[in-house]
Amino acid sequence: MDQLPNLGREHEMLSVMGLNSIDELFSNIPEEVRRKEPLPLPAPQSEEEIWRDAQHLLGSNVDLDSRPSFLSAGLSRNFVPTMVGMLATRGEFLTSYTPYQAEVSQGMLQAMWEFQTMISELVNLPISNVSMYDASTSAAEAITCAVRVHNKKAIQKDTIYVSELVPPHRMSVIENYVQGSGINLNILKHDKNGHLDINAAKIANGSCAVYVEQPNSFGILDEGLMQLKEIIGNNTALIVGVDAVSLGLVSPPGDWGADIVVGEGQPFGIGPTFGGPIYGIFACNDNYIRQMPGRIVGLTHDTNEQKAFTLTLSTREQHIRRHRATSNICSNETLIALMGAMHMSLLGPDGITVLSKRVAATTETTKKALLSIEGVELLHPNSSNFREFVIKVPGDSEKAIAFMDSKGVIAGFPLGLWWESHSSCILVGCDERTSDNDISSLVSVVNEWINEVMN
Amino acid sequence: MSDIFSFNGSPNAGWSQPKPILSDSEILETIPKSMLRSSPPAWPRASEPELVRHYTWLSRRNFGIDTGFYPLGSCTMKHNPRVNEKIVNLPGIDRMHPLQPEHQIQGILSIFYEMQEMLAVCSGMDQVTLQPVAGAQGEFTAIRCIQEYHRERGEGHRNKVIVPDSAHGTNPASASMCGYDIIEIPSGDDGRIDLEALQSVVGDDTAAMMITNPSTLGVFEPEIARASEIVHSAGGQMYYDGANFNAIIGKTDPGLMGFDAVHYNLHKTFSQPHGGGGPGSGPIGVKKHLSRYLPSPLASRREITPNDSEGVGDGFWYSWISPEKTIGKVQQWHGNAGAVVRCWAFYRRYGRELERMSEHAVLNANYLRYKIMNPDNEVLSKIHAMPSDGAPTDFVMHEFTLSMIDMKNKVGVTGKDIAKRLLDYGVMAPTLYFPMIVPECLMIEPTETESKEVLDKFAKDFLNVLTEDPEIIKGAPYTTDVSRVDEVWAARNLILRHPGNNSE
Repeated sequence: MDQLPNLGREHEMLSVMGLNSIDELFSNIPEEVRRKEPLPLPAPQSEEEIWRDAQHLLGSNVDLDSRPSFLSAGLSRNFVPTMVGMLATRGEFLTSYTPYQAEVSQGMLQAMWEFQTMISELVNLPISNVSMYDASTSAAEAITCAVRVHNKKAIQKDTIYVSELVPPHRMSVIENYVQGSGINLNILKHDKNGHLDINAAKIANGSCAVYVEQPNSFGILDEGLMQLKEIIGNNTALIVGVDAVSLGLVSPPGDWGADIVVGEGQPFGIGPTFGGPIYGIFACNDNYIRQMPGRIVGLTHDTNEQKAFTLTLSTREQHIRRHRATSNICSNETLIALMGAMHMSLLGPDGITVLSKRVAATTETTKKALLSIEGVELLHPNSSNFREFVIKVPGDSEKAIAFMDSKGVIAGFPLGLWWESHSSCILVGCDERTSDNDISSLVSVVNEWINEVMN
Repeated sequence: MSDIFSFNGSPNAGWSQPKPILSDSEILETIPKSMLRSSPPAWPRASEPELVRHYTWLSRRNFGIDTGFYPLGSCTMKHNPRVNEKIVNLPGIDRMHPLQPEHQIQGILSIFYEMQEMLAVCSGMDQVTLQPVAGAQGEFTAIRCIQEYHRERGEGHRNKVIVPDSAHGTNPASASMCGYDIIEIPSGDDGRIDLEALQSVVGDDTAAMMITNPSTLGVFEPEIARASEIVHSAGGQMYYDGANFNAIIGKTDPGLMGFDAVHYNLHKTFSQPHGGGGPGSGPIGVKKHLSRYLPSPLASRREITPNDSEGVGDGFWYSWISPEKTIGKVQQWHGNAGAVVRCWAFYRRYGRELERMSEHAVLNANYLRYKIMNPDNEVLSKIHAMPSDGAPTDFVMHEFTLSMIDMKNKVGVTGKDIAKRLLDYGVMAPTLYFPMIVPECLMIEPTETESKEVLDKFAKDFLNVLTEDPEIIKGAPYTTDVSRVDEVWAARNLILRHPGNNSE
């Protein structure tokens, strides 16, 4: 109750209005819809008690930093520079809202314009918005955006193609977002090496869009995707989902014909945070600009010809265009994108390269270490991987993960939970912080599991 | 001006990090040559001190609640308690993965469960999901559930969603994304829902009606139960836009009003910081008949048994469950968990006294409206034209709308001019030109966290603006970091990124 400055001053204020009680202010609520009983909730707490309870409840969770962890599956157990949290939570940023009044919001507007520039540079496409909710909603809205742009000329109307290796939770988001527009969602197959079947992908030529991921959900870098734009043709959007960190080392999709690039921004700016708030990257080329979702900042000037920034292209948005808007998005993830911009600017061009190499190095080292164990196989022995790869272990992988968990190691994600056909597979995820000690611990518990199953 | 792209230190001069655990040549062997990036992104090359100063400079060119009064109607810009920020930095939330097994996440699951239950209790709904990450996504999610409900009942032909003309733009946009046609019905002369207009558009093609109550005019719809009856008798579902939930907690609830589904804006009512545009959090609650369609998973609990590992000490074991006919996912994971935790901490401050929060929000709005609409005679004599109510009413709820049309007609000063001039008084401007049905509309929401003195000062300053030389008002603002910004030029020229200094 320490949040109410006018507590105890109610009558002073009511008497100014010639009123006696607060109830009078609620007199327009008819009796028939009035709540009769007080809320059945616990008593108010002080800050000190809330902090105590938060420490107790959140302290009972097992956090990723408390033990060796190889669980990634789309999020990164990153290290966020200390500056980021301290600067982003300055009250002027933290407690502002959408910068409708540009004259008193130049700080956030400029920071978002710089963010747009950094994302544009990262993926090599000219335009970026100021964030979507997450990688999945970015992918889903990229698809609906591409259909709006290409449907008129498309030979396969209202039709899109999506890689079969898009993880199920993302596929589900995509299905929810596309079903209302009557879009036909088709699947593109991958071969036994985990690569997209590039010949079969010809079927997508003449459709509205193709969505693939690089690396894919098995962590596989697929060289063949670099030919995909040629195969699907100019009037079919190539939408690529990326691991943002990989782009310090790996060719950005803008270099090989991607029209829209989406992905998870979380590795830049914020911890995994139980899956949110995180932010989706959305970048595109000029053809999509009037159909893209989300806020976007432009450079302009004020009446004194001083440089100034403002939200622009608002006529796409729901508050103006209503049911004809390109998206319903209003609140987005600006603060997390700001944290991303801070992190990216601290890294700089050299830091992102090093970061990317660190992840590549731990991926390779972990892979080799596991492969040396008798009884462990790689699902895709000939693939190049970034951050993640898939191993096959004896027995059921969910049981294996639980066993290794009981030995103090989070060994990865049991892939059978996503695809039943992969019930002996573990998705092992590495990051820049994976240490030699982590890898030894993992090797040791995998060995223990194999002994356990073999006996 | 501080330009981040002008920082251009030497390679490796910036933020330091450990070296890769393999050599460069070993790393490069792991990636096919044709896939290697040719040159790094042209990001700034800056040291930490340069960046700290840059972002501090930017922050000082930004206005938040912490800077001053922020009466942005419909957005509920209340104070954000700082302990909430400290709590979300605990490793038990910041360093958690959404795919961790249940026994590692008992604490966060118990908070999810508590929030689901609390929101259900406050809204009169049966089941809540915390997955949608913004109000608009909550709308989309609930309309998807309603869509599946109709389909399962063999009524998939229902293809119309009704919205009042005063609705938030997200309502029609969300329904449209689900594939619905939108029927917009006009408000009555008093700004309230027109039951005859509603009656005339419902039918066996009605899927749902989406409505905000208190309405976007800040006025409670007294006929809301009747509106629910009309829609229900046509076979449609009633959807409650919870943007204005801050006004009614403990007094009434959407369940009592006859609604089937509701979204909550945790960033409004429960104080998740707005962050310059987000993150938000937009959970939804539904009545029993819709709960089987909710996104998956939901937090659930049962009594703890000796076979369970240690719980949180409250005698329960928490787990995820999947609704029987779930629509699946709308966000990749479990929603904005960090926002849920902050809002849990906020809710705990009030507990069963949440009603006091709504009372003070409504008290402050009515007090401010009274002070603006009843200037003393000396001030009144100098005012060019008084504002008029967006909707005639004795009392408003937590916000109110003012039409500045008389100022426009009399001295050519628009609502936008007044909004810009208010910035010179050190406050944020009210919401401008919404709802669209009020000409030259300013929408003012003070929230419960502003003192009487702040409200008095705002009323005085607001009235003072109305006495100023119209040419002065039209040229505002004068004291801000930049003067009035040319939005038209921005839209015509579309300079959406830094051109780069081509130094790479």
